[in-house]
Amino acid sequence: MFNVLTTSRGAAPARRRTTRHDLVWAMLFLAPAAIALCVLRLLPTISAVASSLYKSFPGGIVTPTFAGAGNYLSLFGDPQFLGTISRTILFNLVINPLQIGIALLIAALLVRRVHFAGLWRTLIFIPITVPVVGSCVAWGAALNPQGPINALLSAVGGTPQPFFNSPSQALASIIVVASWIGIGYWMLFLISGLEAIPEEIYEAARLDRSGPIRTFFFITVPLLRRPLLFVLVADTVANFVLFVPVQLLTQGGPQHSTNLLMYDAYETTYTFGSVNTGAAEIVVLTTIMLAFVLLQFRLLREPK
Amino acid sequence: MTTARAFSATRRSVGRTVLSAIIGALFIVPASWILLDSFRPNQEVLSSLTPLSWDLIIPSHLTLENYIDLLFQQGFGQSLLNSLIVCIASVVVGLAISSMAAYALAVLDFRGRGLVFAIIVISFMVPFEAIAIPLSQLFTTWGLANTLIGLILPGIGNGLAVFNLRQHFLGIPSSYREAAMLDGASEPRILFALYLRMSGSAITNSGLLIFLGQWTAFLWPLILISNSSEQLAPVSLANTFGEHGANYGENFAGAVLLALIPATTIFVLQRFFGRLSIASGEK
Repeated sequence: MFNVLTTSRGAAPARRRTTRHDLVWAMLFLAPAAIALCVLRLLPTISAVASSLYKSFPGGIVTPTFAGAGNYLSLFGDPQFLGTISRTILFNLVINPLQIGIALLIAALLVRRVHFAGLWRTLIFIPITVPVVGSCVAWGAALNPQGPINALLSAVGGTPQPFFNSPSQALASIIVVASWIGIGYWMLFLISGLEAIPEEIYEAARLDRSGPIRTFFFITVPLLRRPLLFVLVADTVANFVLFVPVQLLTQGGPQHSTNLLMYDAYETTYTFGSVNTGAAEIVVLTTIMLAFVLLQFRLLREPK
Repeated sequence: MTTARAFSATRRSVGRTVLSAIIGALFIVPASWILLDSFRPNQEVLSSLTPLSWDLIIPSHLTLENYIDLLFQQGFGQSLLNSLIVCIASVVVGLAISSMAAYALAVLDFRGRGLVFAIIVISFMVPFEAIAIPLSQLFTTWGLANTLIGLILPGIGNGLAVFNLRQHFLGIPSSYREAAMLDGASEPRILFALYLRMSGSAITNSGLLIFLGQWTAFLWPLILISNSSEQLAPVSLANTFGEHGANYGENFAGAVLLALIPATTIFVLQRFFGRLSIASGEK
């Protein structure tokens, strides 16, 4: 970086003075963010790991004792917790490709020649402005056994479904609600990625007589690698900590069928008061989430 | 042949338009149902749910009773006010902290700058929910449970805001700063009087990010606040959703009120929002 002061006098001492001036101000300016980072991110991470290594009784009358890997061993020895882990992983294996896939298809549709494209984009974007709690309230009412979706099903001659009240449909219903909220959001990022692809490439593909499906998979998708990786990672992170629909619509039920890791950690900590086990669950959740993100980076990074 | 091709191209574009309209409807119908039914008496909302008829979307008359009841009887007004206070305070403090950090990382020259930038952005990318539970236990021991300060603090550190502002500051020619320094301006003065004045869109974007993050926060207020008088609007709405069985009219009114503020903000600022630098996934 060039600086006016550097050139004004003898170069070496002035340069050192500017560097020191910059360093002092940088430290002052970075201090609040650094403190926020330590207190709001670093400290809770350390305290979660530390707390997960101790054992205590709910209520905290007896001082916690060191338990080493005890909490982890009992968690992984519990079939119900193992069920929660495999459910969480399965949920993410389904919902992330589903949301990004649909968002990509809609984005690809809306960047083509479509009448009133701006209007459709706005309509799909509107659910984003409704806070998740509001959307969950609406879908809770819509998918109520006596709700309008079942009324619609009956009207077209179908059988009313239990949705959130059935162990086999509840998680799928959560996926529908979460996708209605998420798809418009990820679509926005993909649309701007698609618009960055030069039109000439498509024209070249047309001249080579490449059909729309071939063009989509061999030209659009590879050229969209960076935005795709970004939305996939961001979506994965968001879905691993998905909480509101579960808490509001099913409380993990029926029969644990919607009990995902984030909700389970919350319930363990606050409903059952097992702070240390809850901390261990948070550590497990974060580890699995990071493993997923790293895997996605490996699989989708640019070929050398 | 040209006409035939033109004809089939038109037909395809009509087909795409119809498809787009159907998809648009899937997203807008539930949203407009909430909006409409929030202005109907609750009894009518319930009785219109099933069987399927036009009554579902055609009210017999419109009323504000859901809104009035929710705001003045259920204490939702207080929660909305709390939410606003928390959001505004978070935006002001958050923007000050983020812009100072961004200025240091974009303009000032020191060793290890890239590393500090990476650490700040990456560590704030870890989802807040993952550390919310352990953090709330720390906050409780520090006496921050049931306080608005406790609600504001997590909103003030935002990696994306630092990223956005730094990107923008990098584009401001350094000759401005050099000229200001020759005039004897201090670094804080250069940041607040010069750089921030030239960063309207980046400030708006970053402020919006912080605002929306706090406005939609749910898990954090749920675990930090137990007094209803300090509670934030999303949790209050969720509580009324659980409590009264099926007062959908009031629930929908709450959802509309919650959506109203971000929706107006986004639509007013849409020309800025469209320019969100992160939206392209580019660095």
